[in-house]
Amino acid sequence: MLFFGKKEKSVFEGGGLVLFQAVEQAITAERILKAGGQETKLVAPPAHLRKGCDLALEINLVEKTVVERLLDEKGAHYMEILPLRGAGKLLDIVKTRYFDGACMVKAGNMKLTFDTATGVILNISGGGCPDIPYLHVSMLDQKITEVERPREKGFTLCALMLDRAFAEALSIWNGKGT
Amino acid sequence: MLLVCGTIPQDNIAIITGEARFEKEKLFIEDREIPCTQGTAALVSAACVTAQYFKSAPPSVVLAGDTGRGKNSHALYEYLEKNINQMQPDVLLMHYILPVMGLMKKVHAAAMKCSPKPVLMADASSMYAAKAAGLGPQFDVFTPDLSEIAFLADPDAIHPAYISHHLFNTDASRIPDLIAAACRQKSAAKLLIVKGSTDYIVEDGKIVCAVSEPDVPTLAAIGGTGDTISGMAGAMIAAGFGHAKAAVSAARANRLSGQMIQATPATKIRSIIAAIPPALGAAGVSG
Repeated sequence: MLFFGKKEKSVFEGGGLVLFQAVEQAITAERILKAGGQETKLVAPPAHLRKGCDLALEINLVEKTVVERLLDEKGAHYMEILPLRGAGKLLDIVKTRYFDGACMVKAGNMKLTFDTATGVILNISGGGCPDIPYLHVSMLDQKITEVERPREKGFTLCALMLDRAFAEALSIWNGKGT
Repeated sequence: MLLVCGTIPQDNIAIITGEARFEKEKLFIEDREIPCTQGTAALVSAACVTAQYFKSAPPSVVLAGDTGRGKNSHALYEYLEKNINQMQPDVLLMHYILPVMGLMKKVHAAAMKCSPKPVLMADASSMYAAKAAGLGPQFDVFTPDLSEIAFLADPDAIHPAYISHHLFNTDASRIPDLIAAACRQKSAAKLLIVKGSTDYIVEDGKIVCAVSEPDVPTLAAIGGTGDTISGMAGAMIAAGFGHAKAAVSAARANRLSGQMIQATPATKIRSIIAAIPPALGAAGVSG
């Protein structure tokens, strides 16, 4: 028996847009992201965000890190990734705090603390996305100069914030930071 | 029953369910050992020792293995949507799950169909998803830290990485302003535990308690010290505590745990968790 029920409306609301110069770039990117397991859909960008062509990809903004990596690995062309609402720029404020023998660097919602004598990563705190406990386990008790950058292994915006804290911590360790 | 839902950093596990227990600084779900790291494992471990302290039922869990790829987070949302009605938790505490607004709405709708409705708590990325989906006031408890209360105060942000600079730059003295903004914009849950150098307990938009003693600054560096507050509060609410009393008690006990073990920036969260029972005793918390 055939049922002609109303098709369930898609619930995907990603909150982020990938913008392109040309329609074919958007279609190529959609194919790459879907093959990489990302939920995405082609949309018309709202007027205030429109740059380049009239087609954009809606993505889960939280997964910006892995979306960029997938597109870059395949050499896909895109203009930029923006949130649909609010601040268009990622938070770039980094703060540092010193304890006896340790330095804590905070970027956004992420904190990385390292031993100022040995460069060993003592703790990672903050954040909330599921790649953070994984990065925590991978990086803890390792020397800051000997671990992979969080943005290379992470998937989410929390990983990107951790990467910023990591970059500043590495710079401090190398004697260039604040 | 307290039901904790979240992820653990292992890709080879899809969904595991069962009762949790914490023994000798190790977390077990039924007979499977889960590394007690920062994140949901720390929260569940803190809930276990708290429940044990009050001789109440151990927490149950639905955990998904997810290192950030998101596939098993999706499976976790789907599991909850399908099964929450049969599970009938008294308290549903959602934690590290890839934030997906549409799926969070579905889980929330399913939870609303439970009778009685569970106490709804969210921390970490589940709080991000609930806020971004416009569900803040439908939740009973959120547990933000300083950057996350700025996120709740930003009407447009869907993740703390995209909050307005002027909100992130706010110093600790302006936390009450951020709390007021979050509540005004209906981004906040009914009760907030704002975790920081001073912990603020906020009920229906009003600060009802500020906890700043003992002052243990190193706790800020230790991964999981926010998770332990959420886990303790969830266990105490499931044990019958009023929400505000559970929040204040959890905030105090967390600080005392750090003080008791003389926490340093290198301290691991499992040591803080092991000190929670004596800290609850020292805080004079009784059911």
